[in-house]
Amino acid sequence: MLAYAVQRIIVSILIIILAVTALFVMIQFVPGDPANVMLGPRATPELKEALRERLHLNDAFIVQVYYFFSGLMQGDLGVDLTSNRPVLGILIEQAPFTASLVASTLLVTLLGIPIGTYAAVHRDGFFDKASGVVSVSLIAVPPIVIGLYLILFFSVSLQLLPAIGAGEGFWEILLHLVLPTLAIGLTWIGYVSRLVRASMIEVLGQNHVKTARAFGIPNQRILRAYVLRVALPATITVLGVSIGFILSSAVIVEIVFSRPGIGKLMYDAVISRNYPVVMGTVLASTVFIVTATTISDLLNVMLDPRTKDEN
Amino acid sequence: MTEHTPLIEINDLAIKFGSHTAVNNVTMDISRGRIMGLVGESGSGKSTLANAIIGLLPYAAQISHGSIHFDGRNLQSFTAQDWGKIRGKDLAYVSQDPMSALNPTLRIGKQMLDIQHFSEQSTTEKLANALAALEQVRMPQAQARLSMYPHELSGGQKQRVCIAMAIMARPKLLITDEATTALDATLEVEIVRLLKELQKDIGCSMLFVTHHLTVVEELCDDVTIMHQGDIKECGTVSEVFSNPSDKYTSNLLTCDPSRIEEKCRRLPIMFNLGLKELADPEIDRKRINNKSRPLLSIRHLDVTFRKPRSLIDILTGKPKQRVEAVKTASLDIAPGETVALIGESGSGKSTLARAAFRLVPSEKGEIYFDGTDLLSITNADMRSFRNEMSLMMQDPIGSLNPRIPVGTSVIEPLIVSEKASGLNLRDEAIHLLELVGLSADFVDRYPHEMSGGQARRVGVARALALRPKMIIADEPTAGLDVSIQGEIFNLLAELRESMSLSILIITHNLHVVRHLADRMVIMYHGEIVETGTTENVIRAPKHAYTKVLLEANLQAKYGV
Repeated sequence: MLAYAVQRIIVSILIIILAVTALFVMIQFVPGDPANVMLGPRATPELKEALRERLHLNDAFIVQVYYFFSGLMQGDLGVDLTSNRPVLGILIEQAPFTASLVASTLLVTLLGIPIGTYAAVHRDGFFDKASGVVSVSLIAVPPIVIGLYLILFFSVSLQLLPAIGAGEGFWEILLHLVLPTLAIGLTWIGYVSRLVRASMIEVLGQNHVKTARAFGIPNQRILRAYVLRVALPATITVLGVSIGFILSSAVIVEIVFSRPGIGKLMYDAVISRNYPVVMGTVLASTVFIVTATTISDLLNVMLDPRTKDEN
Repeated sequence: MTEHTPLIEINDLAIKFGSHTAVNNVTMDISRGRIMGLVGESGSGKSTLANAIIGLLPYAAQISHGSIHFDGRNLQSFTAQDWGKIRGKDLAYVSQDPMSALNPTLRIGKQMLDIQHFSEQSTTEKLANALAALEQVRMPQAQARLSMYPHELSGGQKQRVCIAMAIMARPKLLITDEATTALDATLEVEIVRLLKELQKDIGCSMLFVTHHLTVVEELCDDVTIMHQGDIKECGTVSEVFSNPSDKYTSNLLTCDPSRIEEKCRRLPIMFNLGLKELADPEIDRKRINNKSRPLLSIRHLDVTFRKPRSLIDILTGKPKQRVEAVKTASLDIAPGETVALIGESGSGKSTLARAAFRLVPSEKGEIYFDGTDLLSITNADMRSFRNEMSLMMQDPIGSLNPRIPVGTSVIEPLIVSEKASGLNLRDEAIHLLELVGLSADFVDRYPHEMSGGQARRVGVARALALRPKMIIADEPTAGLDVSIQGEIFNLLAELRESMSLSILIITHNLHVVRHLADRMVIMYHGEIVETGTTENVIRAPKHAYTKVLLEANLQAKYGV
């Protein structure tokens, strides 16, 4: 298990390096010169050249990658071109907003597991049919639309929940999380519940469940240890991957709800060609996604011993 | 209840799947302390009956009338709680497929603890019970197995775990549903003897569901023969097998190749419950001219697999682990000859066949087909040789695309090898199907509309599409009833004669091999340990493994 974990982490680090390198390549093809954007149209060529030199923009991209990672080793991600503050500081300041949104969305998404389980056990019953219709409808609607309707209903009409900003103090922060979380999470509850239902039904028909029943093992125990435990790995893999989608939905949701966070930061940085900040946010989200998939893989190995031997 | 009433009394029981009747007015008893064999072909309703006794009928099944009494209690009136009290205590069950019968995510010990949920004992005591049960089924290194996961055990070991779980319950009735079908012959005989011993120890009754007639003779006291949901005959094994009163039973026994003394080129088969073709003892068989040049000649062939290395192994420079699947194998097949390749699972017999097609790379050695060294030619040249040898897949329905009609599947090899131009493909498909005894209307059928035997015929037709010189048939009759098994082998024998095909049969069923193969090749742990004419090998086996194998193929005790 430990050897597998070490191996998995090495692979994760390689993926991060590859992703950042790929981003440098892509940035080469983006039209527009950051020096122009930052210094304005009236800057002298000498000034622009000096800035390019400082940002290593004239070097081959592989050299830029090298500077980026050697800076990273020393905790230096460069400086925000507009505010001149260190990027790392900005990231540390903004990350908790996004992390709390992703975490609460994941927690809400987990609701799909009991819903799917109940639907599978009471297959073709009213709850199964109803949750199926609702789930598929929710999957079909994009988070931005759900978000706007949530604001209209809960904030504008009912005036129950705040729609804008992130709030201060524990309760305020929680209240401010509700609508953005639902905007992203409702889709995922539907998705996960359908997925859990399908894999539960598959496992319920498997031979080893019949063996367990034939030995009179109590139903609760069968559902927990013989059905859910076998059905869950597929769901956990999807949840690991879903972090990436949740993060990209967060970009939109943070704009819709005017929430601070990595998503909004990334959006603003791309618009203003603020390369150090773009790199910083991409690095942060890559690390985040890779960590999430690594954790889901390790969880899978813990739940299903066969996965380890296949690797 | 007194000791004289039967343990299970089934009265006029009918079970339906929708409008289809799976079990039709069945009345039978299982006596205390005796082993009842329940025999029938697939689809005869025997598993449905077994499932009804343990109350685990599939969702769609419905008991339409009749009753099952267990130890004097009516099982139909049982609530979920009542079932919970007798399952795993009075009733135990060993399922058909040991590979999937255990929870893949829990350790063996944990699962054996779970089934002792009735007991008030401490975990330590329960673990001791589990260990004792594993030792009773003669599991090697029983203590270590408790902390293993199912995938770390072989098929035979898993089946031992299942049996250990069943006997740990010390049940009044042990139900086994085709518990030995998926096992190799050598393992099957071992498990059957173990079951018999354990049944005596516990003194329980046993319902043994199977389609192996010889296993029933070896193990059971009583036997019930089922066909299409009806009970055809019921009685003690010696009575039923030596003097069957029902026509179906006697035909079934006639069709069993292990009951036919003389070597026969044609096996008897059944048609509408009557015998269609009788065994045809080989009188004037054309001898294969062994001096002619062999069609396929394999010389000193080595096939090695490399296990994939983990990242850490690659970084630390650990060499790849190699598994020798086939070791210096040499084999000749003459034109028109039938050769049987025999060995237990994992002995390398399928790998050897695949290597002959160059589907797996060979390490060393030579493969000559019709005089050409296949290992020295290019991949492009190899394609034309592939057309001359055909592989018949093990799982006939699984190897047909379920969404395209049979007629299209059959001519697929022609299209793939670009030999289809200028042919009327529909006529060609009909011709091929007729060649294997299927009528023209099969062209438009889909795989799910056919029986297992018909699907295998389609497999043969597809193998013949390119007019090959040789067919390799991998377990062509695994899981089939004796009668359909006979049909498929008769078909192969006919084609062998009319088209002078060479046939390589890969199997572990010695009974059919005895009748149909000219020569036998025995493989053991990747090596060919014995070759010879079928008669010689069976009469005077030389290698120790061959002797074990011959012993393991249970002999029929009662003649018809």
